[in-house]
Amino acid sequence: MMELDRRQFLQAGGTAAVLGTAGCDAPHKALWPYTGLPNEAKPPFAPPSGDSIDLATHTLNRLTFGARPGQHERILRLARREEDAVDKFIDEQLASEKINDDRAEFRVKKFETLALAPIGEFYEFRPHILREELTRATLTRAVYSERQLYEVMVRFWSDHFNIDISKGECKWLKPADDRDVIRPHALGKFPELLAASARSQAMLTFLDGRENRVRKPEDRPNENYARELLELHTLGIHGGYTQQDVMEIARCLSGWRIGRGLFQVGKVQFEPGLHDNRTKTVLGETIPVRTGRDGRKDFDDVLRIVAAHPSTGRHIASKLCQRFIADEPPAAAIDTVAREFTKTKGDIRETLRALFATDEFRGTRGNKFKQPLHFLASALRGIDAESDVGRPLVNYLERMGHMPFEYPAPDGYPTHAEPSMSTLLWRWNFAAKLAQGQIKGTRIQHERLTKRAGDSAKLAAHLLGRQPSDDELAAAKASGNPIGLLLSSPGFQWS
Amino acid sequence: MKQAKATLHGNGDLWQTLVVVFLRGGADGLALMPAVGDDDYHRARPFTAVSKTAALKLDDRFGLNPLMNALEPAVKEGALSAVHCVGSGDTTRSHFEAQDLMEHGGHTGGGWLGRFLRFRERASGGALSAVALGQAVPESLRGAPAATAMQSLNDFSFSGGDKFVQSLEQLYGGQIGVFGARARDTFNALGRIRELHAKDYSPANGADYSVDRFARELRLASQLIKARVGVEVITIDLGGWDSHLSQGPLISPLMRRLANGLAAFRRDLGAAMRQTTVVVMSEFGRRVSENSALGTDHGRGGVMFVLGGDGAEGRVIADWPGLKRDALVGPGDLAVTTDFRDVLIPILRRHALDADMAKIFPGHEPRPLGQAAGDA
Repeated sequence: MMELDRRQFLQAGGTAAVLGTAGCDAPHKALWPYTGLPNEAKPPFAPPSGDSIDLATHTLNRLTFGARPGQHERILRLARREEDAVDKFIDEQLASEKINDDRAEFRVKKFETLALAPIGEFYEFRPHILREELTRATLTRAVYSERQLYEVMVRFWSDHFNIDISKGECKWLKPADDRDVIRPHALGKFPELLAASARSQAMLTFLDGRENRVRKPEDRPNENYARELLELHTLGIHGGYTQQDVMEIARCLSGWRIGRGLFQVGKVQFEPGLHDNRTKTVLGETIPVRTGRDGRKDFDDVLRIVAAHPSTGRHIASKLCQRFIADEPPAAAIDTVAREFTKTKGDIRETLRALFATDEFRGTRGNKFKQPLHFLASALRGIDAESDVGRPLVNYLERMGHMPFEYPAPDGYPTHAEPSMSTLLWRWNFAAKLAQGQIKGTRIQHERLTKRAGDSAKLAAHLLGRQPSDDELAAAKASGNPIGLLLSSPGFQWS
Repeated sequence: MKQAKATLHGNGDLWQTLVVVFLRGGADGLALMPAVGDDDYHRARPFTAVSKTAALKLDDRFGLNPLMNALEPAVKEGALSAVHCVGSGDTTRSHFEAQDLMEHGGHTGGGWLGRFLRFRERASGGALSAVALGQAVPESLRGAPAATAMQSLNDFSFSGGDKFVQSLEQLYGGQIGVFGARARDTFNALGRIRELHAKDYSPANGADYSVDRFARELRLASQLIKARVGVEVITIDLGGWDSHLSQGPLISPLMRRLANGLAAFRRDLGAAMRQTTVVVMSEFGRRVSENSALGTDHGRGGVMFVLGGDGAEGRVIADWPGLKRDALVGPGDLAVTTDFRDVLIPILRRHALDADMAKIFPGHEPRPLGQAAGDA
């Protein structure tokens, strides 16, 4: 990849010279730090024209944080039949690494703490800076990344393996967990994601795994992580495990710590002297006596057993169906998805592909209430807002009670509708202010947007994903702030 | 039934508000609530001790600093409880660590107030359930179902205007179920916010707020409570208590501000104090002995105050270990004999019967508060 530093750039003779050699009208991305992001083409677009949500809009609603202008039209152009076009879009989004995301990556590059290399370096920053940058980067990616499904899944797993950044050293450790655990595996293999999470410094801290020691046979290990591993991360509460399994797993995982000495800061280490090396039985499988450093193998055994347990497939499948289909998902869909999960040994991509192919997914539309982050991102995407995603914007997310990394219990933000419904006031306030350009650092271009859509009724169709009703059009017109009103309207709260 | 509950919850008729005042910097408990009846106190503070006659009497052992005389009516009317030797398990004596531990409610993530609002049967609070007066939401409110930092009423304004709200009401009119109920709550709240903006606020009962920031914020708190917009928790910071040198000039104005502000607030709210509780807390108390700069260094046990309706409080709670050398901990600090969470638990219960204490203070084994000490 071509990277220029400032001196090289000046030596090259400034923008004109380099542009000349690059031979194109937009500056090469290596120059963006100096030129800023080149303007994106903003051509006219055709909004959805159906009376109800069509399949393309539905897919955008569920796989992304909301449709940007022209995205619907683009999907339809992928194939002659809508079904085929949607399949192609799903394939594209599942192959996230093939999607060029330079522009979004450039936007998050300014958050320097995201790029810190060894985990010890995070400790050199004030915690609120780390939290602020991680939060802003998360929201920036939700709004601007082209890898939308990937970002949706990053949020999904962040909640599944929830870590409250305010607990103890998680202040310094969660940014690395986001970068090294959640993001690399969000569309990967579940067993690998689970293993990475289990050994994550932030997770070892949040669920006290690092405090799990057995020095003498009568010591009782710390069960916190073992319990959540079974209850939340893998088998699920009704997954068929017992209190005995929790205790046995806690014994298996005893002796893991996080280094503190010079050059050891943040290193996850196994200390045989703190490990219970006697035999254990985990979900019916015997773990043999292991002495000395061999004791570390218990960890791999536990993860293998729980990841492959049939209840894990069901648990993950029902959570995915809850996110993508309905708050109370139909059993048939869960069965299909769980089967695929088991068959592919937890291949997240293939599991999702199977989910998106079910009739239940395709047919259940407009019934998921947007979580606040989804609502906020979809509003910004819908109107093509240009935002620095600064505090004035982030404050609204706080007001709506949905700050990433701040859910105060291990189970992550609820995805069902009711908890998100109490903060309509802030949705309306946000929408009204956004459309009036009253959120500092965030701009929209009304006239241009309306022009691109064709007229105000077509813009409404774009925002709602269907033809607006007469009532909606009349209300938008009467409100004095049509875009703000549409973003506040009941229709825009659901996806 | 369910719907009625939702309405109650969203529009402020729920009508109980907890105001948490955090004295940042580690407020000196022995200055705020001196043990004037204990000779060792006078020996430990030869230059700054408050005399027994000057103090506002709480019981035979304790008094309030005379700079806090504004609270005399509250004390007389049984509206103020004072807790001594209270604190957390923190032994680092670091502001940052101790504040975090206290605001998180233990060694856990998220804030105790955030969990208080989130973990109860009646589920999530309304849009205005938690208000942080100041620039940012404090750690204690992390994880709240909604948390709003505000510095003035303008942060609360709804920019839509009447036509906007009317148009929204038309579209939401047909909504049913929980969604419709929440929308109706929100329109109610909007109406009340509008009233709030429409008229100038004049405090009731001749309450006289001074012009400092703390008083201004309490005035705003009172305004919000009376407007019944559904505020259940308000947080306010009063900083500047880190009195390592020349403690007197440093914290005297703060003590006055604290007491005057609370007294005006109580007066202003009048009968509404019955549905309001104010908790005053700080991350730790300070060293028992003065240092050579006539200041005090970071210590352990400190004080908390609880202000409620007339007769609702009026207790002195102190499991007093005394100030003899062998009773002190670490480098000479008052021991923590009451866990701050044990002071908060009965208050939270009063405010929300269904609040799940095990979730709000995970890992904490509650201990009932001691009976009133002394013979007050």
